[in-house]
Amino acid sequence: MAEKDKVYKCLNPVGKHEPVDQSPLAPRLTNLDGKTLHLSICGEADIWVPLEKRLKGDYPDVNWTVKKRFHIVPDELTEEERKTTDAVILGVCW
Amino acid sequence: MPYLADLEQSGIPTVLINYVEETEKVKNDSVLYGIPKLRYVEADRKSPGGVEEADRLLPLVLEGLTRPLTRAEKAGGRYAPEPPRILFEGTLPEAEKFYQQTERIPRILDAEWSMYTDGLPVVIPTEERVKEMLTGTSHAPDELISLQRDFETRPQAGLFMQGMIRKKGEVIKFMPTGSTATVEQIAVNAVMAGCRPEYFPVVLAMAESGGCTGDGRSWGGGFIVSGPIYKELGMNVSYLRFGPCNPANKTIGRVGSLIWRNIGGWKESVTGIGVGLTYGNPVTNGGFIFAEYAEGLPAGWKGLNEMRGFKKNESVIVPFSPGAWGIGQEHLPGVYRSLQRTGHGAIARFLDVKGVVGPHNYLEFLTKDIWATREGGFTLVMPPQVAQDLYDYGFKTKEAVYEWMWKRSFVTVGNYRQRGMGDLITNGWLGIERTSGKHWRELPDDYMVPAGGDGPEAYTIIVAHGDETAIDRFGGGPMGSQTYSIDAWR
Repeated sequence: MAEKDKVYKCLNPVGKHEPVDQSPLAPRLTNLDGKTLHLSICGEADIWVPLEKRLKGDYPDVNWTVKKRFHIVPDELTEEERKTTDAVILGVCW
Repeated sequence: MPYLADLEQSGIPTVLINYVEETEKVKNDSVLYGIPKLRYVEADRKSPGGVEEADRLLPLVLEGLTRPLTRAEKAGGRYAPEPPRILFEGTLPEAEKFYQQTERIPRILDAEWSMYTDGLPVVIPTEERVKEMLTGTSHAPDELISLQRDFETRPQAGLFMQGMIRKKGEVIKFMPTGSTATVEQIAVNAVMAGCRPEYFPVVLAMAESGGCTGDGRSWGGGFIVSGPIYKELGMNVSYLRFGPCNPANKTIGRVGSLIWRNIGGWKESVTGIGVGLTYGNPVTNGGFIFAEYAEGLPAGWKGLNEMRGFKKNESVIVPFSPGAWGIGQEHLPGVYRSLQRTGHGAIARFLDVKGVVGPHNYLEFLTKDIWATREGGFTLVMPPQVAQDLYDYGFKTKEAVYEWMWKRSFVTVGNYRQRGMGDLITNGWLGIERTSGKHWRELPDDYMVPAGGDGPEAYTIIVAHGDETAIDRFGGGPMGSQTYSIDAWR
């Protein structure tokens, strides 16, 4: 066989991702009143300045908790804090 | 995304606000972390003042938390890709065409994106070539790349990185997709880059570091080799050490970007959002490696390997993150020589040592205003004569130089507040200032704080060969205390 016609098996340079179970989403809230909603603010704060104000102003019956970090990695809720948190709004990094 | 996944999986509903350019990555990452139907709301980063944008987003955000789940959002499943070992079978010309395939990525204006390469032609990884590459190590082809020793990483305040202890045997996850790799898969990429089998232990040590991919988003892209292996491989530690024409420097450096692309799975705007760092940094330009010339060290100055706890005759690799190139005051090499040999020229006038023969502290000239428009430490790659002059002047160890430079970087809090990175490093001025232990907001404007990094460890000196007395300077340096043995991969 001429060299130019020789067939080679060529290997894959790609890595392998370990299998990941895909979970359903957590059930949604039926209403907001009296709930504890957590604002997880990270990355650029710009959109959050008016948004936080609107959320707190428009929904005074919600118990708002906030953690702010200017970094791209959010400041996470502790295990204790999670026990009393009903939902989380996170942005703009993740 | 791991945090969001954890919240959802523990029963806490979430909604993510992301910028519209990042949506493809959100969708990609939500699958990788097990919540494929994550609810998100797209924001526009160009909205002035954000008020109109907040008005638009508010009902969408709350709807994300309250609208009942759809059938698809209630479903489970499994993500288990099985990439084939043999990617292509055919003649070499056909293989070249196959491996050079590209696709168009909409978010980068439909620019072409190489599916398997760094954009350059590659050496086709035939079974025969990969088998030959594997002769460069005693490790088995099917062995997963893992840590070869225990070590502790140093906390980095500005990056909110805690110090952590990592254990031998920990399987390496290559970011941004968190994939794993076998020795053989690294060999495939080494063949593609054009490496020789004798380079392979260095390549494997690079892989052990995660290929310098950090958390996938940024930092890294460069490597420093310290130890005698540079001689074995013929690496250039002399003139043009950062330039073309040296096979070891160029091909080993290249593997890093191939690992990032193929093993880590970087695909711009889909699996990652590049901001010009990591392998997108023009300094690294797709991969960057150089080596230390330990023979040029003054007595009492240790090589990078020794400073990291290894012996002089042990070879290691240190991942690093180079920033701006050529920082500090410019001058021609002859101006430096005049300073030290006769006390004449611009630097001598600057130091007010006219007519006085050296050694003089050249660093006072080099570092004038070096922190005026940047924060953090930096790396100096210097010829032996400059190192010897600093030693003779009185810097009996590299650590003494680092300490001197770090202390020189102090600025007032008032100055620091006006810097571009201050908001990030201080967490919006909400955190504790390290040197005082006090809250940033308690400090008066005239209090002095370091602009040049967390501490002296933010600086690095590498001695290179050459008599021309000019030093290479660039921002950034080694990524924390991470150091990987090359010898462990022989």
